[in-house]
Amino acid sequence: MPFREINSKMVEATIVPGQKMFSQRGAMLAYRGDVTFTPNLTGGQGGVMAMIGRRAAGEAAPLMTVEGSGTVMFGHGGHHVQVIQLTGDTLYVEADRLLAFDGTLQQGTMFMGSQGGVMGMVRGQVTGQGLFTTTLKGHGAVAVMAHGGVIELPVVPGRPVHVDPQAYVAHHGDVRNKLSTALGWRDMVGRGSGEAFQLELSGSGAVYVQASEEKL
Amino acid sequence: MATFRLQGSKVLAVDMSGDAVKAKNGSMVAYDGQMAFKKMSGGGEGLRGMVTRRLTGEQMEVMEVKGQGTCYFADRASDITVLSLHGDKLWVEASNLLCADGGLRTGTSFTGLRGGASGNGLFTTTVEGTGQAAIMSHGPAVVLRVTPQYPLSVDPGAYVAHQGDLQQSFQSGVTFRTFIGEGGGEAFQIRFEGDGLVYVQPSERNTVGGDV
Repeated sequence: MPFREINSKMVEATIVPGQKMFSQRGAMLAYRGDVTFTPNLTGGQGGVMAMIGRRAAGEAAPLMTVEGSGTVMFGHGGHHVQVIQLTGDTLYVEADRLLAFDGTLQQGTMFMGSQGGVMGMVRGQVTGQGLFTTTLKGHGAVAVMAHGGVIELPVVPGRPVHVDPQAYVAHHGDVRNKLSTALGWRDMVGRGSGEAFQLELSGSGAVYVQASEEKL
Repeated sequence: MATFRLQGSKVLAVDMSGDAVKAKNGSMVAYDGQMAFKKMSGGGEGLRGMVTRRLTGEQMEVMEVKGQGTCYFADRASDITVLSLHGDKLWVEASNLLCADGGLRTGTSFTGLRGGASGNGLFTTTVEGTGQAAIMSHGPAVVLRVTPQYPLSVDPGAYVAHQGDLQQSFQSGVTFRTFIGEGGGEAFQIRFEGDGLVYVQPSERNTVGGDV
């Protein structure tokens, strides 16, 4: 189902019968037509096991199912909204940044520690995000939230992109990420440049970066 | 020399090939290629600069970024304006300066009454030389041209920066009415005369002048 960008902070989704859409609970701003909103206790799809998995992973953003026929406007907290189109690839995004997404997309959680070994584990602690992240896979559109707008940086083989963990929003494609450090003795004595940790993304795909170091 | 360009209105992209820029500490959001980040003690200019900065309170937390590739800077979703200096001088609050070419000299200058009224310190940062700099504002900044025939008065809370050959003076519209609570809320202005550019943001900081 397509999203239409109304302005930088609001999107409109067309809901057609027989197709579901998931959105963050409370993110509906207005709607036209015959649309129902049901709280999603399983926090998405994939049944009870997936629910337990997400709960355990701390990636349980309260979601609701949007069904019916009509159009729904979404927005949340005045945050900038970015629509990302998936064509069979996987999007990695923190659950609290998800505004709404196509019901046909497969939802899952991924253990970030499995990428990059110990540094992958450290990543969660440094970024203030969990060790797990939400994945969405398939064909469809996803609306994600960011503070201050987003730029999309392509990741191509041989040219990795380094991102401030606080400014990182999401990434898609065949991308590996690991935490890299620029720690020298100066940083140890508290005179760092403020850029001690970076996420290094390599492979091929794209990374979305927000114009702010502020969390949502 | 590093090339500054805007990616959207809130992200600054700087293309570098072995050269360096000075940037606000912690403002890097992403980069590709090879970059090294080094904190500059007190904003550069050696020991003397550091001491003046400490004394004036115009503390600029600056890092030097050197490398090959593209480095992206942003700060709390502020709007960014890129400007060029051709041997002239830019006056800007340290908190509004995002990034400056490594070849530009930075210093501190006394602002007089203006600083006190604009809610900033009595000292401001100066950037001088030839190269590009990026300043931040709350909302997109407008550039207003000042010529000898057309002086300009600016709300101290909306003032961001100025460059060129300008004299500034402090204007006060405080009258009897102000004291009986009938003020218009625009009791103070900074007046610019001469030849240059003034950058104004569509938002007002809280200032002493705004309340009277």
